Parts: sequence; structure tokens; C-alpha cells
Amino acid sequence: MKKTPSKKLTPRAIRAWQWAAAGGNLFIFGIPALYVTFLGWEGIHFWVLLALIILTLSYYIAGIIFIPYIRWRHWRYEIDEHEIDLLRGVLIRRRTLIPLSRVQHVDTTQGPILRWYKLASVTISTAATTHEISALDEMIADHVRDTISTYARLAEEDV
Amino acid sequence: MSEFRRQHPIAAVARALALIKGNLVTIIVLLVVGSRGGEASVIWWIAGGFITLLILGIISWWRFLYKIEDGQVHIKRGLFVRQNMYLTRDRVQVIDITAGVLQRMFGLVKVEIKTAASSSREATIDAISRADAEIITEKLKKNNGSTVEAGNEDEVTETNRGITYHLPGKNLLVAASTSGSFGIALSVIGTVFSQAEPLISENEMYEWFLNVIPAETDLFLIITVIGVLVLFAWLMSFFGTLFSYGDFGLTVYNDELVITRGIFEKKRITIPFNRIQAIWIMEGILRQPFGYCSVHLESAGYGDSKGNGSILLFPLIKKKKLDPFLEKIVPEYIKSAPAQKPPQRAMRRYIFKSLLISAPVIAGLWWLFDASLWIWVLLIPAVFWGWLRYRDAAIGWDYDNIMISFRNLAKTTAVIKKTRAQDLHIEQSWIQKFRNLINVNLHVASGDQGRSFSVKELELSVSDYLERWIRKGDNSHSEDMKEKTQQSVPVWRGI
Repeated sequence: MKKTPSKKLTPRAIRAWQWAAAGGNLFIFGIPALYVTFLGWEGIHFWVLLALIILTLSYYIAGIIFIPYIRWRHWRYEIDEHEIDLLRGVLIRRRTLIPLSRVQHVDTTQGPILRWYKLASVTISTAATTHEISALDEMIADHVRDTISTYARLAEEDV
Repeated sequence: MSEFRRQHPIAAVARALALIKGNLVTIIVLLVVGSRGGEASVIWWIAGGFITLLILGIISWWRFLYKIEDGQVHIKRGLFVRQNMYLTRDRVQVIDITAGVLQRMFGLVKVEIKTAASSSREATIDAISRADAEIITEKLKKNNGSTVEAGNEDEVTETNRGITYHLPGKNLLVAASTSGSFGIALSVIGTVFSQAEPLISENEMYEWFLNVIPAETDLFLIITVIGVLVLFAWLMSFFGTLFSYGDFGLTVYNDELVITRGIFEKKRITIPFNRIQAIWIMEGILRQPFGYCSVHLESAGYGDSKGNGSILLFPLIKKKKLDPFLEKIVPEYIKSAPAQKPPQRAMRRYIFKSLLISAPVIAGLWWLFDASLWIWVLLIPAVFWGWLRYRDAAIGWDYDNIMISFRNLAKTTAVIKKTRAQDLHIEQSWIQKFRNLINVNLHVASGDQGRSFSVKELELSVSDYLERWIRKGDNSHSEDMKEKTQQSVPVWRGI
């Protein structure tokens, strides 16, 4: 792959993702809960259950403390007058190039957590796919959105 | 046609029938469930349901008005929410004219005008006369609008007359018997069968069936039932293909392709050339050994119920005849390109992955049917399948086109113009990182969702070339590619 894109996400994204993970990952405790409901916790089941609880708990904690940070470190993007370049993913690195002439529309969206941290994500839609630059500072997000839409207008081509 | 018009009243019935057809499986399931309440209630259910649908159909017919003016169609529809739809000439992707059995009885046709937006499925005029349909098509054609004067018309149609390709009867039979819709038919039958099973078991038919076949063991019974189901599915797909692709014709005009097909339900699809998103050929596992393949195209406007935008461009053709055929139909698409194939070291990853998929399936069968250890012999075809996938993967490009070939079960080779590639997606897992391999993924617009074409386990350096290729106006890669061209084989013919 060619040189990595230069821009990083706003560091506050880590905080926002940590809160999102704290809420969104709660469901994994359903796994030990289901186990107890169907198999009980007598004999061997106790030890399996213990292992399950330790695993889910450590995943939950890692999901809050480490993963958002690692995710942030691996997120890069860059926009020039020809294309949008996104690079992300920890175990699987994903590089996406979107020629600006293919951009159909671009939005900024903001959930409650992002709003609290004054962040917003930019959504880029082509005729076939949708991509997201998640969690940028509000000002930067607005700027990115306007840049993309200006460049896209210049690069206008018929579908 | 500059004032609002209503459709032919038969549209009300057509709408009701379309509603039934669209929910056929649900209706059958409901009927089976409902039939437990005794026979009389079933009849009431059917009659009541049909009358309700007919009333709905009449209302939608009454509220549906259409008008054609200056190259745009204006449709008013909806009962509570009045909808105004304007379809302009510039945005039309595909025009679809269908004459179903019902419409043909009254000499009418159904017109579907498809734009790239997902609401395009709503722009359907269910029943109008063929002459009116012709007028609409004519007005919505891109470079053929009001500028043509009446006196010139003969001349225009003269120069515009296209060449038509028909599907020979023998090829139609081959296409029908090796059709890929076999699997779909099987799943439909499976659904119906699983719903109908409680009914059948109470039936005397079932007893008779049990007596007739020499059911010594359970295994034998299972194999018989599966055999009968497969035969049924095959017959369904055979006749399904025969009826919908019988009387096939592909006509090439200056600026558009017209596909006509169908025996009972006649369908005519018009696709302007500049709306084609990608061309791909498919060599199904039953067809490839005989050297046959089918030609498809992707269109942004076309969409079936799944939002899939593929159109079958030609149902069956000998692969040897493919090059001259495509040269006449879509000359601007390349037929061969220097191939970048996965390197040797990627082969074991392909084989390993295919083992990873097939081993659990075999283990499941082994456990479920208590089969002998010999069932593990099936791992040999799995290795072969992995090797085939490795052998058939390739990517190649020139300045304007990219060509991608890969295999899942059937082998697919796609040609996409650079301007139609919506994005380029390159992926590397941490294991691939040690091996310097990448996966490449390209999206084109198709139906509502888009469609992706991907090649796995390519050399890392390919990503450099591809990244430069997709950049607008960047020509530098062609210099690099010149060397490559010397050493490599063409994708299309080479494999």
C-alpha cells in the first residue's frame, strides 16, 4: 500500500467510544446468563460458568479501556481533490479509496454521546456503498463535509 | 398525451394479482394454518381476501393518473398521501415493458420506468395500450426526444434499426436444464413441503407412499424423499427458465440494448448503453464442462424484490463465440487484459479456507447420519475446489477498464469501466501481512444496494497499481504496466 493517509481522528473520540462500549457491550453478559438459565450451575457447570464470566468480564473491560484507544491509533483519513482515502481496522486493515466524482451525497450525523463530546461523524455515500469517518470534532466534521461536497461538485460526472 | 389519463380498468385486476403473486408463500402458509379451522372457513378466507384485494386494486386504479410532457412522465398516485412523481429523461436507467397473460388478453402492456433511486419500483403503469407504451419509450429515449421532426421519422428508424441475436432452441434447452435457479426452486419446495408436511402425514397418500416404496431403512426413505424433491426442483427450474427465457431476442441499437423474452409473459427491457454499470459472464459448474457461459449486466435502475440489479443479457453462449459476440454488443469493454494472479504462496491459503468451510459440514453429516469414515473422502473435492478458486482468481486492467475474475461455485469474470467503479477497497488481515498478500474489492452501483466484485490473496504490490489506477487523470501506472504486459497472460482467454 502507498503512504498512509495523514489525518487522525479527534482524540476525544476515544472517550466517546469508551462510553459507547460501556453501554453497547452489556449484551455479552447475556451469554453466561443464558448458560445459567438452561444448564444451571451445579458440578462441572460451575467451572464453565466461572470461565465464561471471567472471559466476558475481561472482554468487557478490555472493550472499554484498550480497544477504543487501539482503534483510534489505527484510524487515518485524507481528502484531496481527487479522492477520499480511509485506512482503518486493527486485525484486518481496510483501505478504501473513493474517487470524488462518485460521491453522491455527504452528511454529518451526531448521536447523544458524540454530541456530549462535541463530535460528529461524516457519512459519505456513493451509488453503491456508504462509508463513515466516525467521531471528528464538530468544526472539523463540518469542514470535511463542505470540502468533500465542494470537490465532488467540481468532479461531477453522470452516474 | 399532454393531459392526465387513467389506465385501462384491467389495471385494478392486475394490481390485485400482483399483490397475490408477491405474497404467494405467505398466503400458502396462511391457508395451511387456516385450513385447520374446517373447510368452510377456508373458502370464506379466500373469497374475502380476494374481494379486499380487488377493492384495493380498484382504488389504486382510480387514483392513478399519468401524463407525458416535454420528455418527462408525471404520475399522480396514492389514496391518503397524494404522491406526485416526475421522471425525467436524463434520470431514466431502464425501461421495462411486460405483457403478462392478463394484459395480453386485452392487448395491453405494463410499463416500468426505472431510475437509480429506490422509489423507482413505484413508477409502474400496470395496463396501457402498446401504442401508448411505445410513445412513452420514444419520449424518454435520451437523444431521441422532441428534436426529431415528424417528416424525418422514417429516416431515423432506418439508421437506428438494430441487429437482433436470438437464442437457438437447442441452447435454450441446455440453458433450462443447467439453470442456476435450481437451488432457489429447491428452497421454495423445501418451505412448502415443511409447511405441508403435517397435512400429508395425516393423509392416506402418505400411507400409500410408504407402502409403495421398499422402505427397508430410514436412510433409504430419506434418500428417496430427497431424490424426489431434487427432481421436482429441477423440473420447476427447467420449465421456469423455459417459459421466462423462451423466444429470447437481444437487439442492439445505436444507443441502447433491447431484450425481449418470455413465452406466456412477454417482457421487453430497454437499457441505454450509458447506463450499464458492469458486464459479467458466469460459467456455472454444470455449464463450464460443456464450454457454455451466460452473459449478465449490472444496472443501477433495475431491481428485483431483493434489490439486486442484475439483468441476464444472454442466457447461454459457447465461450468460444463470446469474444466476437461482445465485440458487436459492447465494443468499448475489453475482452482481455494482462492478468495479475495470486502468487504461488497464496494457494495453500485458498485450500486451507475451503477445508475450513467443508470440514465442519462433513463432520456434521458424519455425526448426523452415523456414516462410515469413508465420508471424509469428501475432503479431496474440497481441496480441489480450493485449488480451482486459486486458479480462477485474477485481476487485470487497462486505462479505462478493469477485469476481475473469481470463483465461488460458478466462475465469474466481470469487466467494469473505471468511471463506474464506485470505490476501491483493499483489505489485509494480520496473517496476510506476514505473507504480503491483500484482498481487493470493487463496488459498482446495482439495484438499491450495489454489488461488489472481489479477488482474494493478491500480491501486495498490486494495491499500489490499483490505487493509482483509480485516481482520476493519473496515467503513470500504464508505464509500469507495460513491463508486466510482456510476462503475463490474458485473463479472459488464458484461464
